[in-house]
Amino acid sequence: MLLLSFFHLFLYLSSWTWRTSATSPDQEQIVRDFFGKDGSTSTSGHTNNWAVLVCASRYWFNYRHMANALGMYRTVKRLGIPDSNIILMLADDASCNLRNKFPGSVYANPGRDLDLYGDNIEVDYRGYEVTVENFIRVLTGRMEPSVPRSKRLLTDERSNVFVYMTGHGGNEFLKFQDNEEISAHDIADAFEQMYQKKRYNEIFFMIDTCQANSMYSKFYSPNILATGSSLVGENSYSHKNDNDIGVAVIDAFTHYVLEFMEGINKTSTKTMQDLFDSYDVSKIGSHPGVRSDLFNRPLDRARITDFFGNVAHVEVTPSIEAETPAFVPPTTPGQKSERAIPSQSALPSLTTSQPLMDMRWLNNWRVARAWTSVALLGALIGWVGLQK
Amino acid sequence: MSSMDSHSPPQDAQNAPKQPSTALRDPSKLFYQSDGVHRSIIASYWAVILLAVPLWWYTTSIERLSLPQSRVYSQAENHLRLPVRICLVAGDQQLAGQLQDSIQQHVAKASERWNGLKIDVLQQGQCNSNDGSYSVIPSDKGITLEARQLSYPLADGSSVSKLVDTLSALIVPYSAASEQEHRVAQYSPRYRLSFSLLNEDAAAGKAIIGWDVEQAINRYIHPILSRLSTLHNFTIESQVQFHAPLAFTPQELDVAYALTSEDLTVFVNSAEWTLSSSASNDPVLHFVLFIPSSDRRPLKIANADGSLSASGAFLLPQWGGIVIHNPTPQDVPSDTDLPPTDLDQVFSVFSNQLLALLGVPHLPVGVQRGVSEREALITDWQLDALLRRRALENAEGAQDTLRSIVKLVDQIENMPVGEDVKGDVQDALAALDKMYASSRTSLEQAFRYSAQALTLASRAFFNPGMLALLYFPTEHRVAVYTPLFASALVPLFVAVLKEFFAWRRQRKLLLANS
Repeated sequence: MLLLSFFHLFLYLSSWTWRTSATSPDQEQIVRDFFGKDGSTSTSGHTNNWAVLVCASRYWFNYRHMANALGMYRTVKRLGIPDSNIILMLADDASCNLRNKFPGSVYANPGRDLDLYGDNIEVDYRGYEVTVENFIRVLTGRMEPSVPRSKRLLTDERSNVFVYMTGHGGNEFLKFQDNEEISAHDIADAFEQMYQKKRYNEIFFMIDTCQANSMYSKFYSPNILATGSSLVGENSYSHKNDNDIGVAVIDAFTHYVLEFMEGINKTSTKTMQDLFDSYDVSKIGSHPGVRSDLFNRPLDRARITDFFGNVAHVEVTPSIEAETPAFVPPTTPGQKSERAIPSQSALPSLTTSQPLMDMRWLNNWRVARAWTSVALLGALIGWVGLQK
Repeated sequence: MSSMDSHSPPQDAQNAPKQPSTALRDPSKLFYQSDGVHRSIIASYWAVILLAVPLWWYTTSIERLSLPQSRVYSQAENHLRLPVRICLVAGDQQLAGQLQDSIQQHVAKASERWNGLKIDVLQQGQCNSNDGSYSVIPSDKGITLEARQLSYPLADGSSVSKLVDTLSALIVPYSAASEQEHRVAQYSPRYRLSFSLLNEDAAAGKAIIGWDVEQAINRYIHPILSRLSTLHNFTIESQVQFHAPLAFTPQELDVAYALTSEDLTVFVNSAEWTLSSSASNDPVLHFVLFIPSSDRRPLKIANADGSLSASGAFLLPQWGGIVIHNPTPQDVPSDTDLPPTDLDQVFSVFSNQLLALLGVPHLPVGVQRGVSEREALITDWQLDALLRRRALENAEGAQDTLRSIVKLVDQIENMPVGEDVKGDVQDALAALDKMYASSRTSLEQAFRYSAQALTLASRAFFNPGMLALLYFPTEHRVAVYTPLFASALVPLFVAVLKEFFAWRRQRKLLLANS
């Protein structure tokens, strides 16, 4: 029933958006002409992408924050940002925690479908290295000469940077490691220093913490797009518990952002506007915010892949190879659409929506298992009691 | 009192006959209860605290040395202007004037492109071939370059405007608006070049398992590097990999497998290819020779219209170049090394890509190299254009960086400025001064100083000590200091007040008595 009503809602919404877009083709054309020649190409002038992903809290009960950061890590990597361009900061190692029933793994969904820790992961700052100071050093580039390349944010004026932070926070601060905190002013100043040294083309800042929207309120440098999970005075909630792991495995805001990202592949043309439109307060449980006044492009022209993907332009260089070009008739659209999207199909989906039948069967099995073990235990106790 | 009592019995035993035999002594007679001692003890506490205040102030304040602000701002107003002298050999006065006018018109039309250059057209008599001036020689054998010398057919006045076009293409080959400008790597005094031979899947057979990379680098890459040695230092590394899968499946056509332009943007499978060592922090330019798996050959690049491109090479801006090489089936019976002819082809593409990434301009169409220039990959004209571009870029970069240091230090109040930052800023300013001084005489020298200024300014900016302390609002400060200082200072104040009142009381008593 619920599924059906969602479907209706979707139909209604899509027909509505279709209608509104259809009624104003002239305006749209004017805007499109104003901002660029071709509606299909990206308008970002970047040549490389970087990501800084920060999980600022430690301890086992903050498992979900590590899963948040690792989920983002998996997504940016899947969409093409190389490990050398990702700075991953994890304040604790949930995968190796003694309480982790699944050692070496971190899962972001109750079904434990997808191991986020995987076998190809590069954590650049780990444990007690995740400090406010190190985070600011990463952003501003003020490093000791001995710091290796993998720990540096080597961006330039053609870099688009995605900054994701998660942890416990409050009004204008985010706690690091339970013993220090970074304030909104500090991040704003760090971004300004990056701007002054031309260390970025555009920044996309995303934060999932309580009162997250206060964290981007102090920004004052241009070309920053920011989004947060909750309003000032509002908590940001976790999404699901896993009964075997025993703690919440992911936060709601991050979960739904990641769910949206699962529909994106490296060549997707979805825009930031689409992402922001996908926010659903009733599902997330808090009011996500967007700040775009510092951002110089319209959101429906800023592609998701401008920040989550890699490389926008490629030049085919003339080769010296004197091979005669074999003429092939242009491919038909049918052929093209048959092409599988490997990056998506190769990796299992992150989303938790499983067929309902499966769930029910699983529940029944669990109940049966529980009763069987109770019966077995009872029988054993009874037997021991009768022996005396 | 009790402690004094415990000491007193032996004393009492000795002095018993002299002293009045009272067990308790008058407290006011005790030496440490005398007013003088009493007050000096309290005063010493205060003295220690007051003397410690400067120390506390010094240790908690941030070292902020003053930067030469006015010099930085006045330096930022300066703009580097590099002289370009064009010498018209064997031309009459009138032609030189015509050329000067024509160039001026051209400069006025595209002023942004000529920014930072000062053009002089000289007569034959004023020419000096040793100061880096360019000479234009009328000839009738077509447009030819010979060192800094351009032979040009100057038949009549109309050819002057064509000459100006050619000269502008040679002297300022860069235009800011061009898409190709994106591909030029940012200036760095050091680069690492990484050459990789990647087999998509050597297990599928017919793989290329080796290449004579040393010889190829010596032939194709080293001449470029030694020519550009004034600009950059290079280190080279190379590798061969046998399993380098693609992250997508190329489109299968009748005659080939095709890569669309979208595929090319995601061609580099950075998750699974390890392309360079992380031994140093120098920027890396990657050159990848990709051998498709034997069951996916030939792998070709598709044009936008769906036809297959003749070229198997493409360039990722600022990142590097990739060549896709399909060994022909009859050539490769089994696993082999890369045949020398193919190696030559591949490396000539790599060398072109390297030139493009480093910003070496192309010669304009129709301009031929002279006899002595055939061998040289980069002519003096191209090298000068590159040097000028980099010098202007670096000078601007250094000035911008210095200005932003000063601005940030002003803006962010708790940002420390140490001795080394100040030193670097001063050195960068000195290098800029030297650059301006030498720009009239030697382009190479000016470039060197510009690079030095940029390096120093960046080092000052990225100084690890410049990390601003965290934002700490006043109410936090009060909240932190109050519990510490209130508890320590209250007894001290009370003691002073008590002593003061006691003294007043005493004085009153004395006055009343007298």
